[in-house]
Amino acid sequence: MDILSIVTPLFVGLIVAGTVIGIVFGAVPGMTATMAVAVCLPLTYSLGLDNGLALLLGLYVGGISGGLVPAILLGIPGTPSSITTCFDGYPMCQKGEGEAALRLGIVSSLVGGLISLLVLYLFAPPLADFAIEFSYVEKFLIILFALTVMAALSKDMLIGIFSGFLGILVSLIGTYSVDVGGNGEYRLIPPGMENLLDSGFSLLPVLIGLFGLAAILDDAENGIPAGQKASDVKVGAASAFSFSMFAGQTVNLIRSSLIGTFVGILPGVGGSAASILAYSNAKTFSKHPETFGKGEPAGIIASESGNNGLTGGALVPLLSLGIPGDSTTALLIGAFTLQGVQVGPLFIGNNPTTWSAMIIAMLIANVVMFAVMYLAIRHVARIVTVPKQILFPIILMMCVVGAYTINYGIMFDVWTLLIFGVFGWLAVKLRLEIAPFVIGFILGPNAEVYFVKSLESFGDLTIFFTKSWIAAVLWVLIVGSIAGSVFLSRRNAAADAAAEAEAEMEDAATS
Amino acid sequence: MGDLTHVTVDFSRSHLIFPEVIGTILVILAVAILIRDRRRAMGSGRYWREIFARMDKLRFFGTLLLTVVYFSAMEPVGYRFPNLGLGFLFCSIPYLFAVGFLYLHHRTFRAALPVAAMALVAPTLVWWLFGSVFLLTLP
Repeated sequence: MDILSIVTPLFVGLIVAGTVIGIVFGAVPGMTATMAVAVCLPLTYSLGLDNGLALLLGLYVGGISGGLVPAILLGIPGTPSSITTCFDGYPMCQKGEGEAALRLGIVSSLVGGLISLLVLYLFAPPLADFAIEFSYVEKFLIILFALTVMAALSKDMLIGIFSGFLGILVSLIGTYSVDVGGNGEYRLIPPGMENLLDSGFSLLPVLIGLFGLAAILDDAENGIPAGQKASDVKVGAASAFSFSMFAGQTVNLIRSSLIGTFVGILPGVGGSAASILAYSNAKTFSKHPETFGKGEPAGIIASESGNNGLTGGALVPLLSLGIPGDSTTALLIGAFTLQGVQVGPLFIGNNPTTWSAMIIAMLIANVVMFAVMYLAIRHVARIVTVPKQILFPIILMMCVVGAYTINYGIMFDVWTLLIFGVFGWLAVKLRLEIAPFVIGFILGPNAEVYFVKSLESFGDLTIFFTKSWIAAVLWVLIVGSIAGSVFLSRRNAAADAAAEAEAEMEDAATS
Repeated sequence: MGDLTHVTVDFSRSHLIFPEVIGTILVILAVAILIRDRRRAMGSGRYWREIFARMDKLRFFGTLLLTVVYFSAMEPVGYRFPNLGLGFLFCSIPYLFAVGFLYLHHRTFRAALPVAAMALVAPTLVWWLFGSVFLLTLP
């Protein structure tokens, strides 16, 4: 394989463009990397798979990284994954050390991104080779495991599981396709909508609605908070950044990157979990945990290397098992589907060029992200002042273009975007979990085929437990993830109750 | 035990097996959630009243209404100029301006100018890019 045949000027240009646009999306509060990928997906229709992925992976890396800018300068996370960057970044900025904090975050992001890329490169192929041996039974159990892990790591396990199964049910609307061995009969379609929902809801309009329109509706509900004035953004260079700030932080940097990567590998678990876990670990192992939250550089290092560690990690289950690692990689499935390529255990073996292109694109995207943000730091800081009344209408229009062109001009796909935009807004209000819903929606049709075909072939429910040792291990993991979640939620509830009782006793003592 | 776990799949009904399984699980989960969160469920009326009370109704429902009008108008306008994508262009320009104007915090002529420029340039650029470069269908 000739690397030069992949790394064309167009390929590199698309990565650069994607990374820069991604940084803008990440840096504007209320806009996310997922939204960036959703909005720009239609641009990939005519680019071919490798070039399309170059753009989308640039958006992904840029989007995750851009979130640190408002987190440090304004104390507002640009994306959910940069929430813990606020804890120490903003206090540093208030002390006039904004530039040093930004550069610290940018370098940490680069290291996190590169370490996770290495893990992706090393672990995805063997995992895919292993998964090739899976029968329908194991494939079904892997999906069940993905859903239970996601639910276990949700804020509320019961609601997380409910959301995942709701996603599966919605994905079953339409025909049980003959192409996958079904009987071609309709199910779950409201009367009179058979023609529109013959193939169910299209994946991309659903995702664009959930991550594009719903986010704008949420901002509209809150009155579209005004952007910052340029005069409010003070970068501050009271203390210059130096690489010596990383002295004694090597372990923190590598540990946080690996935590982020591991969280990325878990299906459907997003960047906020990665950065929170990395941050809390850094605090636990620190010799000065009391300095965290007051402008401690180690906090920024942990948070930013953790959330960028997610990027490579989230691609591992996608490319080896066909299960997206987070919401953004769920959208990448759309890009593959668009080009007629199926992701799963056979992907890497059957598409070595695309696999190499993805690795190279991620590598270049990380370097570009670093170069753009590090060298043009003061310009990047101004992104937080971009007015939403200019950006949001364009995003709405791009959502429409994406939904309409996905199936070459079906207006119902545009209405699907609206339906799921409103549903996404409502779901947050109802405390449903969007990530498990999306993963359930994506994996639902496959789960059905694996489940029904397993029953047709073996005629016995016990096959799901007895098929192989892998099935048994998967059941242990499924039960373990649920039990672990129940244990953690009980422990947290007990800790909350104890803290409340302690506070009440203190109140009583002082009064 | 063998009889209890034995399953015969009737192919003509196979399209309903999985939806029934998932539906049953969802009902069980919904009942469990309702029993656990019964207090919150009882107070849902107040919860929604609070959401609607503090919501920016103009911007929220304005966005929804403009979007419904935009979606409804695109194809009928497009039919007047077949295969040119002009339904998209002619509807996107006023839609983008209306939404941008709605999101302005100080609705002055001066503040509306960049919104108007965006509403003209962005749809035209996208219409040209998708229609002439990517050769993709627009309404």
